[in-house]
This record gives sequence, C-alpha cells and structure tokens, in this order.
Amino acid sequence: MEDEQSFSDICGGRLALQRRFYSPSCLEFCLSCPRITLRSLTAVTCTVWLAAYGLFTLCENTMILSAAIFITLLGLLGYLHFVKIDHETLLIIDSLGIQMTSSYASGKESTTFIEMGQVNDVVINEAIYMQKVIYYLCILLKDPVEPHGISQVVPLFQSAKPRLDCLIEVYRSCQDILAHQKATSTSPEGGDKIISASNRRSHSGMGAY
Amino acid sequence: MSIFSCMSLWVSLSRNCLFLSFALFSSGLCCFSLWLNSLGLSCWPQKYRAVVLPVYLLTTIVIMLLLYVLLFGINMMSTSPLNSIHAITDNYARNQQQKKYQEEATSALRDIPISEVNQAFFREAKELYTKN
Repeated sequence: MEDEQSFSDICGGRLALQRRFYSPSCLEFCLSCPRITLRSLTAVTCTVWLAAYGLFTLCENTMILSAAIFITLLGLLGYLHFVKIDHETLLIIDSLGIQMTSSYASGKESTTFIEMGQVNDVVINEAIYMQKVIYYLCILLKDPVEPHGISQVVPLFQSAKPRLDCLIEVYRSCQDILAHQKATSTSPEGGDKIISASNRRSHSGMGAY
Repeated sequence: MSIFSCMSLWVSLSRNCLFLSFALFSSGLCCFSLWLNSLGLSCWPQKYRAVVLPVYLLTTIVIMLLLYVLLFGINMMSTSPLNSIHAITDNYARNQQQKKYQEEATSALRDIPISEVNQAFFREAKELYTKN
C-alpha cells in the first residue's frame, strides 16, 4: 500500500513523502529533497565565470578561463556525487531494526542500519541549528550500562529537514511499530500475570517498559 | 566556556590598552604643536583628527572584528550539534531522585524524559498540531 503526500522543508522548498506500508510490522518512508534548479546552477556558473573573466582581465593569461571551465565541470560532478542528496529512506522492520538510506543525485547510496536491540526510542527533538530552532526526528540508542539511559543520538532526514507536520506523520507511524514491537517482545513475560489485579498488571507493564 | 572567558578578558584588556595609548598620543599631539612647528613639520591634519581617528579605528576593530567575527563565531562554535546528547538530557536529569507519588498532591517538579514529552505532545493531543 503506497501513499504520497506533499510537505515543505525548513527553508520552504517542496518535499514529497512516500509511505509504503508493507505489513503492520514493516514500514518504509521515502522523503525526496527539492531538486537542483536551473536558476541556481546558472547563478553559480555565471559567478564563477565572471570571477575568472575578471582575473583574466587582470592577468591576461588564457589558462584562467580554461581552468574556470574545468573547475565548474568538476565542481558540479563532485557536488552531485558527494553533496546533493536526492531522497532519503527510512525502513523500520519490527523485529530487526531501522535502516536509513541516502541516495545521492549521481546514484550513489549510503546505508546505515541500527538493530532493534540498540534502539531506545524515536523522538522529535528541538535544537538550535545555525540561526534557527528546528524540529528534527532522531533515534535514541540504548546505554549498555543503564537500562533506561541514552548513549547516543542519531538524527534522521538531515538533508531533507522537513517541518513539524511531516515529522509528526513519521513519528506516529514509528511509535505504532515500536509499541507493537514492545508488546510482542514482552508478551511471554506478561502471559502469566494476567490473573493479577489491574494495579499490579499496570505496574508490571511499566517495569517491562 | 573557559575559552570564551579568556577571549572576553583579552578583548577588554586590549581595548583598555589601546584606549589609553591613543588618549596619550592625542593629548600629546595637541600640546606639542608649537614645538613641532618650530621643528619644521608644519603640515599636519586638523587637531580634531587626532581625537577622532582613534575612535574610528577602535570602533571598526571592535565591532567588525571582535563582535561580528569573534563573538558570533564563538557562539556558533559552542552550540551543540544536532547529534549531541546535550540536546536531550544532562547529568542533572539523569541523576535526579525519583520522588514518591502522593495522592491528591501536586506532582513534584522533575525533568520529564523526552519520550514521555513526545507521547504527550504528538500522540495524545492531536488537535494542537494540525497541518497549516
């Protein structure tokens, strides 16, 4: 089952969120970033070439112009391969873990996988970023020493940077899956406590959580 | 934090030294104009410049370099990045004591973990965050 919605990022660019619902325990979100526009490409090329022409009028050396052309081409290729991210995908599998994939504009993909045993929670946090305060989604990893502690924070969708409405959609679906995972992982221990009173059952549920 | 205090101390000290030296220079220049004239060095700018140029220089250096570059730069460098644990919790919140729950009493003040805050904001109160 596939679902597509349109959102905006923190700078106002358009994002498209594609949600694929494979099963109640497996969900995939694909967030596509705004593409590189002809206007920005023309602007950068013109500034580089005008600067090179200015240098050329000072130095009278034609190698500067050829160097400017090479720099523009190599810079564009490097930007598309190393910097510009086309879409980011988040795949949550209930019993296995969470996988994040970033696809660059040149086709390169970089993947990170976090297994479910290390995941404490997925939350929306606010932080100062440059001159703004932004909401961002992050995965909290468990502390091996302390059971309910947090050892590391992994921010998600760093290149797309969606706004709060998009984050809430992703957050709710992730929390449904995590709650489903916790319920199925604690059911063998909770099965023999069904006979107890409701107070004791709620306390044992909190202890298991 | 310590680097910021060192920088601010250095800034204030250097600013005071500069002020003092330029004040001495400008006052000295005003007094010795007759003496300088007799030496033959007569073509000087107006005396008003001796007072005003140091102020211009100081303002430019202090505002452009120290304020806009150094101060704002130090501020931005010491902001925690998005993947830092300091944006989520800190030592006080981790080590706070669990207070006992009392019936019919206002709950004690404590740092609520971010998971609980998120559940309360984004799952239970759905009408507050509608798409606009």
